[in-house]
Amino acid sequence: MKRYDLIVVGAGPSGLSAAIEAAKCGLSVAVFDENAKPGGQLFKQIHKFFGSKEHQAKIRGYKIGETLLLEADAAGVEVFLNATVSGMYMDKEILVRIGDAMEHFKADAIIIATGASENMVTFDGWTLPGVIGAGAAQTMMNLYGIQPGKRVLMLGSGNVGLVVSFQLMQAGCEVVALVDAAPRIGGYGVHASKIARCGVPFYLSHTITKAEGPDCVTGVEISQVDDHFTPILGTQKHFDVDTICMAVGLSPMSQLLKMAGCSMIDDPRRGGQVPLVDENGETSIPGIFAAGDVSGIEEASSAMIEGRMSGLSAAAYLGFLSEKDKDSSLNELEVALNSLHQGMFAPGSKGKAFTKTDEGIAVSPSLLKKGYLDESDISRFNRFDKKSGVHPIIECTQNIPCNPCQDACPKECIKIGKTITALPRIDEDNTCTGCGMCVASCSGQAIFLVDEDYEPGYASITLPYEFLPLPQKGDLGTALSRNGQPLGTAEIIAVRSAKAFDHTTLVTMKVPVAQAMTARFYKCEAPRAE
Amino acid sequence: MNRISAHPILGNIEKGQKVTFFMDGKLMEGYEGEPIAVALKASGVMIHRYTQKNHEPRGIFCAIGRCTDCVMIVDGVPNIRTCITPLVSGMMIQTQYGVTALEATE
Repeated sequence: MKRYDLIVVGAGPSGLSAAIEAAKCGLSVAVFDENAKPGGQLFKQIHKFFGSKEHQAKIRGYKIGETLLLEADAAGVEVFLNATVSGMYMDKEILVRIGDAMEHFKADAIIIATGASENMVTFDGWTLPGVIGAGAAQTMMNLYGIQPGKRVLMLGSGNVGLVVSFQLMQAGCEVVALVDAAPRIGGYGVHASKIARCGVPFYLSHTITKAEGPDCVTGVEISQVDDHFTPILGTQKHFDVDTICMAVGLSPMSQLLKMAGCSMIDDPRRGGQVPLVDENGETSIPGIFAAGDVSGIEEASSAMIEGRMSGLSAAAYLGFLSEKDKDSSLNELEVALNSLHQGMFAPGSKGKAFTKTDEGIAVSPSLLKKGYLDESDISRFNRFDKKSGVHPIIECTQNIPCNPCQDACPKECIKIGKTITALPRIDEDNTCTGCGMCVASCSGQAIFLVDEDYEPGYASITLPYEFLPLPQKGDLGTALSRNGQPLGTAEIIAVRSAKAFDHTTLVTMKVPVAQAMTARFYKCEAPRAE
Repeated sequence: MNRISAHPILGNIEKGQKVTFFMDGKLMEGYEGEPIAVALKASGVMIHRYTQKNHEPRGIFCAIGRCTDCVMIVDGVPNIRTCITPLVSGMMIQTQYGVTALEATE
């Protein structure tokens, strides 16, 4: 039986982070993962991450995954793939299925970082081919380059449903509607706005009542639900689709911890059955730690911090790290983790309805119901005296943990301050040069550059664009409003790509000045003649 | 065609060598090393198996080897999770009826 100082189960963001920290302290570390490739779900995350620099904000998930793999390799972490841990026994022994053999391994400490599995909901026809999980959609399109379907309906408006809907459109699929039984959108408003401005309608307080089709999905029926989430007869709507995608939450995969005898609790706010852990991730059994989604559903950024914390704690537990060094490192990580745990989407705020931001500004009801800001909301969040020339309009109206825009502006026009959940403010004393760094760095694609004085009667609007085909300078197309409605003809006057923009292209369009505060997207086709 | 030829973020997604395989005796093309399920999807196959009791169709659901909805008979072996099993040139893939490699009986 092979022995290590530390065994980590799960090679996702949390497990790899834990393994790296522990190996750097001198522990011999083995990581086991049932998948053929390490990285967990990171390599399917093609959007820019939120947070601040220390959380690797504005870097796309798959790039973070590549960095983690290099670090793990450099630290001497041994990774076993296609290795399913199926048992965890007394004295930190595990049973692993590798190929057709069952093997035993033993360590002095174990970190469980098995992540989570997707939830599903059932409805008539839900087992038909064509009904898939959101994770399946991401796997197919972002790892294997195949469209999950041509016309897709998404169920679930949390961040997963919103992000995957956008990614489906990036993969060339059509998203016909986004449906959620809840009365308001669960994920970040900025994610919702990205898809709303492409014209995707949101159906809140709706659910799927039937998947239609003889032997695979050809359509879907949704119905409005009442306050008790019961479908209301007579409210059915039909969509022709070939794919129904479910993004209805995640559940911790905590079975190994339960099996080992760790004290467990049922905590709906953390996603289900989770181990009781202390602030460093140690379970009720000394030397067994849990990190990442398995101890409470969050997202990859916090999973990586929790992983590092448990790796350091395991190192200290085994005497590879002095208590003093452990405490100083952990303090730093705790600060980083706490900064992610603030604001409207903090783990403790799940399900809470906010009427005001931390700054005391009334939130946008339209954003929560329909996925886009009403024009009347914008002035509440962009308060400054109009100066001539180009300037940013920041449509970021919720307290989410994110601040790359502040660092991106070389002229320091954008201020967030130390609390990264604070809303960005525009500093009028500094002059915008129109460089566009803020537009490209905003993970929520919520910053636009507007110049009302571009030409007499015309304004220019610079927007982030992550679709193909790219518009070309001189193209005539359609300006779209925040809810994807055509406003009229727009002319492309600049298209900028740069390495620093990281695949976000900055498209500048010319529109009548009356549309300066309403046009927020561009469609390559010219408007249809009425 | 449902393969993504160009992606705004990922560019051109790298593929293995083009190979052929058989699906219920019919010759099909896919890329070596990609999951069998992806190659089948590219050829328009949606139904992977029929359930034992009610003879209901099943296809890809989770695509990460967890739900076992996509299992098929691969080279004579039943219950192979096609979403995580790499395609190999010349593979014989069959629709699975029930839980064994036996032919469906009426």
